[in-house]
Amino acid sequence: MIERVAARPWLWPAALLAVVAAALLLSDAAGSWLQVANPDPARATEVTAALDGLPDDAMVLVGMDPDLGTYPEIRATVRAALSELLERGARIAFVSYTPEGRAAAAAEVERLIAGGADAGRVLDLGFVAGAEAGLVLSVTQFGAAGASFPAAFADAAAGIAAFDMTLVVGGLDIGPRTWVEQVVTRVPDMPVLAVVPTFLQPEVAPYLRTGQLAGLLATVRDGATFASGVGDGEAQPAALPMLAGMLVALGVIGRALYVVRRPDATPGRREPDEQA
Amino acid sequence: MRRSLPATIVVLIGLLLLVNFVVINPLVAGVAQGVLELVVVLAAGAAVLGGATLLVHHGGQLARTGGDRLGSGVLLAGMAAMLLAGFYPGSAGSADPAVRWLVAALLAPLIAALFAMLFVFLLAAMQRGMALRSRQMVVMLLAAAAAVILLLPLGGTLGAWLAGTSAWALAVPVGAVFRGLLIGVAIVAATYAARVLLAVGSADD
Repeated sequence: MIERVAARPWLWPAALLAVVAAALLLSDAAGSWLQVANPDPARATEVTAALDGLPDDAMVLVGMDPDLGTYPEIRATVRAALSELLERGARIAFVSYTPEGRAAAAAEVERLIAGGADAGRVLDLGFVAGAEAGLVLSVTQFGAAGASFPAAFADAAAGIAAFDMTLVVGGLDIGPRTWVEQVVTRVPDMPVLAVVPTFLQPEVAPYLRTGQLAGLLATVRDGATFASGVGDGEAQPAALPMLAGMLVALGVIGRALYVVRRPDATPGRREPDEQA
Repeated sequence: MRRSLPATIVVLIGLLLLVNFVVINPLVAGVAQGVLELVVVLAAGAAVLGGATLLVHHGGQLARTGGDRLGSGVLLAGMAAMLLAGFYPGSAGSADPAVRWLVAALLAPLIAALFAMLFVFLLAAMQRGMALRSRQMVVMLLAAAAAVILLLPLGGTLGAWLAGTSAWALAVPVGAVFRGLLIGVAIVAATYAARVLLAVGSADD
């Protein structure tokens, strides 16, 4: 039987496509066979509730330190959140503690301004060196002593504590965990929202349960739910190309696994335990 | 109980920052602030030194025959363009529109293109990895296939089941392993810190 399957390398991808097609055809979804958004909107609702709690003309800090490799996974969610903040009349200031985050922040600030955002309501605080040490210093001070900021952000000189909320766009180096450890312990009343890639979800989720994070969007599904909830359909990732890419990946994985089963496969270098 | 100078400095600064965290005292806060500013200056200095080293290395490579002279030239030209945009008279530094344009219009798309190829290279690496026929690779591929299947963007009952199962997988088995690792790392870090503080064993070296 195995030999028969092994003789047909196309069988795995074909079977996979058949299963997905059958699932789609037998699905009871009325007109929405493809869906990125999470059917459980709990995470997105928490974030929206935190945004609802912002005062008028709020000043929000965006701690922008994603990894460039995983940023594409959360970019749509981040853009939906920024767009929603501006829509609600908030002033947003970007700051980064990693060089990669600085690059992402510069690109997002440029995109916002080029997209017609009021430049007076967007501030680029730039890069702060020193990682955790810089973050701790920022709690009470941004920029050099006596540094001046635009009138709309005059309070920003007093550091993170002067902001109404922080949106942390995290990565491996500086993420929500660092913010909770270094900032939330010093400014416990300031709500912190976080957007992180899926691989950081297990690390960050406990802070949501303890209340140290006011909201967390850590998967593509939750990000899409949030984006659709705030009416930013443009920011949602398209389901069909995503499905196509995933099917290709599954096909290649199946083909790679087939190589193991193939009786005449070239063994190549074996593991030490296999040699023994 | 002989302490080396670096260990003594680590102990003193660690204790100072710890005291500053739990005691409200302007003098201690001022000293702690000074230490933090010193760390920030050191980090910034290290970054400048790293840039200078890169400049010297690729400048030398450009002067020599052979090697990747084209690559070095492109890197130095990129550095020069960014420095020029950030340091021209009247520039706003890293927040200058010219720097932001260079990053948004050149750097970000280039990096995005580079990482977009990761999908292809990862799949190719998978194929090559399987040629080694290792059990670890099989386990990894099966886990990857399970993760991809759970993340399929399907609607209806099946989609809801996939979303619920993937949330459970992240929260329970993956979360348990992740937190186990974090707790293990924290215990090792705490033990090491205690050994440094108490000048016990090789941690003092």
